Amino acid sequence: MAPDPNRTAGGASGSGTTKEGKDDTVAKKKVENEDLSDEDLALKQQLELYVERVQDPDPSLQKVALESMRQEIRTSTSSMTSVPKPLKFLRPHYGTLKAYYETMSESDLKKYLADILSVLALTMSAEGERESLKYRLLGSDGDIGSWGHEYVRNLAGEISQEYAKRQSEEAPIDDLMELVQQIVAFHMKHNAEPEAVDLLMEVEDLDMLVEHVDKTNFKRTCLYLTSSARYLPGPDDMLVLDIAYLIYLKFEEYPNALQIALFLDNLQYVRQVFTSCDDLLRKKQFCYILARHGITFELDEEMVADDDDREVLQDIINNSKLSEGYLTLARDIEVMEPKSPEDIYKAHLLDGRASSGASVDSARQNLAATFVNAFVNAGFGQDKLMTVPSDSSSGGSSGNWLFKNKEHGKTSAAASLGMILLWDVDSGLAQIDKYFHSNDNHVIAGALLGVGIVNCGIKNDCDPAMALLGDYTDKEDSSIRIGAIMGLGIAYAGSQNEQLRYKLAPILNDAKASLDVIAFTAISLGLIYVGSCNEEVAQAIIFALMDRSEAELAEPLTRLLPLGLGLLYLGKQVYRCESVEATAEVSKTFNEKIRKYCDMTLLSCAYAGTGNVLKVQNLLGHCSQHLDKGEMHQGPAVIGIAMVAMAEELGLEMAIRSLEHLLQYGEQNIRRAVPLALGLLCISNPKVNVMDTLSRLSHDTDSEVAMAAVISLGLIGAGTNNARIAGMLRNLSSYYYKDTSLLFCVRIAQGLVHLGKGLLTLNPYHSDRFLLSPTALAGLVTMLHACLDMKAIVLGKYHYVLYFLVLAMQPRMLMTVDDSLKTLPVPVRVGQAVDVVGQAGRPKTITGFQTHSTPVLLAAGDRAELATEKYIPLSPILEGFVILKENPEYRED
Amino acid sequence: MGQGTPGGLNRQGLPGDRKPDGSGKKEKKFEPAAPPARVGRKQRKQKGPEAAARLPTVTPLTKCKLRLLKLERIKDYLLMEEEFVANQERLKPQEEKAEEDRSKVDDLRGSPMSVGNLEELIDENHAIVSSSVGPEYYVGILSFVDKDQLEPGCAILMHNKVLSVVGLLQDEVDPMVSVMKVEKAPLESYADIGGLDAQIQEIKEAVELPLTHPELYEDIGIKPPKGVILYGEPGTGKTLLAKAVANSTSATFLRVVGSELIQKYLGDGPKLVRELFRVADDLSPSIVFIDEIDAVGTKRYDAHSGGEREIQRTMLELLNQLDGFDSRGDVKVILATNRIESLDPALLRPGRIDRKIEFPLPDIKTRRRIFQIHTSRMTLADDVNLEEFVMTKDEFSGADIKAICTEAGLLALRERRMKVTHADFKKAKDKVMFKKKEGVPEGLYM
Repeated sequence: MAPDPNRTAGGASGSGTTKEGKDDTVAKKKVENEDLSDEDLALKQQLELYVERVQDPDPSLQKVALESMRQEIRTSTSSMTSVPKPLKFLRPHYGTLKAYYETMSESDLKKYLADILSVLALTMSAEGERESLKYRLLGSDGDIGSWGHEYVRNLAGEISQEYAKRQSEEAPIDDLMELVQQIVAFHMKHNAEPEAVDLLMEVEDLDMLVEHVDKTNFKRTCLYLTSSARYLPGPDDMLVLDIAYLIYLKFEEYPNALQIALFLDNLQYVRQVFTSCDDLLRKKQFCYILARHGITFELDEEMVADDDDREVLQDIINNSKLSEGYLTLARDIEVMEPKSPEDIYKAHLLDGRASSGASVDSARQNLAATFVNAFVNAGFGQDKLMTVPSDSSSGGSSGNWLFKNKEHGKTSAAASLGMILLWDVDSGLAQIDKYFHSNDNHVIAGALLGVGIVNCGIKNDCDPAMALLGDYTDKEDSSIRIGAIMGLGIAYAGSQNEQLRYKLAPILNDAKASLDVIAFTAISLGLIYVGSCNEEVAQAIIFALMDRSEAELAEPLTRLLPLGLGLLYLGKQVYRCESVEATAEVSKTFNEKIRKYCDMTLLSCAYAGTGNVLKVQNLLGHCSQHLDKGEMHQGPAVIGIAMVAMAEELGLEMAIRSLEHLLQYGEQNIRRAVPLALGLLCISNPKVNVMDTLSRLSHDTDSEVAMAAVISLGLIGAGTNNARIAGMLRNLSSYYYKDTSLLFCVRIAQGLVHLGKGLLTLNPYHSDRFLLSPTALAGLVTMLHACLDMKAIVLGKYHYVLYFLVLAMQPRMLMTVDDSLKTLPVPVRVGQAVDVVGQAGRPKTITGFQTHSTPVLLAAGDRAELATEKYIPLSPILEGFVILKENPEYRED
Repeated sequence: MGQGTPGGLNRQGLPGDRKPDGSGKKEKKFEPAAPPARVGRKQRKQKGPEAAARLPTVTPLTKCKLRLLKLERIKDYLLMEEEFVANQERLKPQEEKAEEDRSKVDDLRGSPMSVGNLEELIDENHAIVSSSVGPEYYVGILSFVDKDQLEPGCAILMHNKVLSVVGLLQDEVDPMVSVMKVEKAPLESYADIGGLDAQIQEIKEAVELPLTHPELYEDIGIKPPKGVILYGEPGTGKTLLAKAVANSTSATFLRVVGSELIQKYLGDGPKLVRELFRVADDLSPSIVFIDEIDAVGTKRYDAHSGGEREIQRTMLELLNQLDGFDSRGDVKVILATNRIESLDPALLRPGRIDRKIEFPLPDIKTRRRIFQIHTSRMTLADDVNLEEFVMTKDEFSGADIKAICTEAGLLALRERRMKVTHADFKKAKDKVMFKKKEGVPEGLYM
């Protein structure tokens, strides 16, 4: 570590005070000890004497000499740049001591000498000989820490080499492990947790960690473990997380344990967390974490004994209070006032040509306005197009807006009501109800979809979505069927509901059903069984794919079938779920038109959010081919790169770089997918560099590239109200005022940027970017795949695929509640998160913070911490709902 | 990665943003150029082509497995990029195409070109320019010019006939600053310094180690020192040590003398200081060495002349650069002076200059080393006993010793001898000491 002392050429020897009256003999000895000060010289002679004495036949003299040598070495302090002097002076005698050691008879003294040799070997032994370790093992079992930190570090390095060697020779390792035990104990006591963990990882015995951690260092240890897990190759990462989980459990840091359990997707662990904690309040906090993650979880008596308590907890998991909390946030930030699409377009800020005149009241424009209105007012329960007139003028003009849309446009318009009333099941159903009695099939379809959207992420005991939509899945009209099926998919995403499988699976193999119905059924089943590896559903979709005729396979909507299949395996890598491989094998037998597409989709879904570099390489490999036929598998491959790489920050940054190369070299089909991949990588996180790239692409000569770039601009700015993106989009709207398709995309993007008036996020990652919500990712991926063929799907009559985004919508808030779950405003500091892994002391976790009063909004990369000592948060990660407990030790001053 | 705010104009640069997007422009038919994303102020953060290739920073700085894994992850991605690009180049070489494009652009540009100044941007494709000699013209901007980079006042390349803008000159580094960069390492190394062991160690810990082993400081949880000041009697080796640092380090070494910072025009001095530190930051890790800092760094008092005030402003800018609002990452500062007591206290406060390293007059042992160093290449007669000079009670600085040796050599030369005798040394010493003590200003040798 420190630079080689010899380079310093005398710099290491202290200047020392010089005494007058040196004689000439000293001057003549200059050649060998060029510039030693008096003390150094004395020390050197002393040490030489010891070395001689050690070889003395008299054991008592030997002992004294060894003792004093040991004393010299231990007491010497070194500077950062040089080797301690005793070691330096003993260097020439290393060989002699070693030789003498061999001749010594077995005794305590021999062990003593071994100790000293071990320390000397620190600077002396040749690379790879591991003599320090050799003599250490031969020496006495003293306290190794007394020889200094550098020595222990060196030993640890040699142990890992020795371990690897012995592993390959299958030699016993007991003596090594004993030493490891000592070293780990030493490191853990001296704030060097990363080193202890590293050593244990090298010798593959992390279990030892559990006994060595204590109250003061377990947090740092676990932080190091969890952040290492992202970069370790499987299955090591699982092992590491298991250990972290055990440690957290040991120290009753349950929320963290729960997070790891969720990361591992191990419901057994989740149960364990619930059963091992007996504080009801903390359990409520667990439920909030579960609810944010968006998985279905049923509490049973073992976890919560009391029936009433259980009901309360289950309510939290079911997200039934989400709407209430969201509206509280909105009221606090004072954005309840509904906004019309014109407020978003801000056309008055544009000068010149497009601002006013050109806009003919066309259906496309109205459709765009519908979506913008839905996105902007999502969850607020009121808007200026769909809900207002129903109160004022007897429902007539509400119909007006609805009927300003044509045919399938009406579906989206009716469904937008669901979006506006998002999460508010009771009043939502009441307001949508009137459209069920319409004669227009499109309106009914929209109402059905709307019901699904309202119930997104919410579970209700009476299952209103199932009751309302169930009957419509078998109707004649395909638009109604799609509405119902898609609604069910959104409402029950991730629930793995058996009943729905029985209902939907037969549709896949229904010969009479049209292709679009089958495609949406596949997606819905994929959403409901997301990441479950369910065999039956997989079989059903595979058969449906095999039944397609050549012509049907060429249809743009067919791409949703493999995607449905892929969603079943979302985030499950091969070694955690073997059936991925089986399915991948089956997909090889498909018609060649769809085979590769299916391959890419399966691969990218199975490794989504893992950061697996090999898979990125595989996908990049597919993108490097130049195809002449109209094969379309490269699009999903590009999106796949983003899906795999989005797991951690480094991979994300590097993937952005790789995508830049794809842009340079790729054919049109790749270039069209690159903006979408960028959008997924930086979703709701407007990085300046990505913004610039997308802005450049939004002027691309290929209109599909431009459309994808525009949509992605919306995605990276989703819910941020980012003024720069809003400005770019405004300029784009005037640039493309003649091109209705592109204008439509610009409008959608504008709606996304102001998603929920800036209160919502689409980021599937939450809890400090640690956990990935599978349903959210599934929703995003579905929408992106649909965008791969923008003209046929989003700009065609299936624009309602945009509503799949609702699965990823979550309020980006921090709301603090007291023990009775009432909101409790407290001051918090919000600032940019800092990576504190492996740092000494208690470093700041946030930088550039501002103090606000809760509820507050958290932007991407932000972290919050309480600014008052009065309360203790029950979750270490301040996101979403957090329960605060009074601090008993707090004193007002 | 980095912690820069997403919205801020941080220094992260735009990875890959400035790469030529050759394949994007293969449409045959002519399309009007897209409007520039932004007109007006140039983005400052561009730092040449290196900025584009900048990799994400890796935390923690401590050497541990996590860091190794993270670095390996970056390496993996880079290898994939390499593989991908190599594949693509094999399939359809980009270079030929780029070459073709370049020659086409050159055709359009015409040659030779003249250099001018951009006065004003009129609209997307027109601007007012002035050439170095003549009047101002209203001219067009060719489509291939990167309009993002144009800003009023920047130097541009103009077509020789129609004067339209055909390119822009990137290099905006003040030539004054580029001169300061030490291109050729000085010959003096640490080995040429007699004694001063404590000083060497201190300067190594304060200047070199933070650049080479930042993790040591992170381990302990402290911020490494920002800079050091070397002070002491004239001739005690301050500049020599700085030279040795420049010799041994691989970091960029910028050296400047305090008096260079005093400029003729108002505001030029502070500007030069700013430029100096900006360049140091661009080329980081780097070491800035300001010799004779007392030229600008004297205590502030009511200045009467504009010149004095200007000097004080220059110092204020220096203060700001040393520990001001912007953080200087890998820039270390070495100051040298022989009048530390006259420096402004603000300059020396911890946080700006954390370490003060004193250079004392050499003690006997050091003197012996210095004599050895200077006489090692001289042919000495057998009767020379250097110990006599080493042990003398007179106050010698390192430079005095060198002067004695040189003087002795000159004396020998004068008498056409091939060896320097003890008598020469004696005479030389007397001469040097005489001049030093008698009325002749201190430090003016021979």
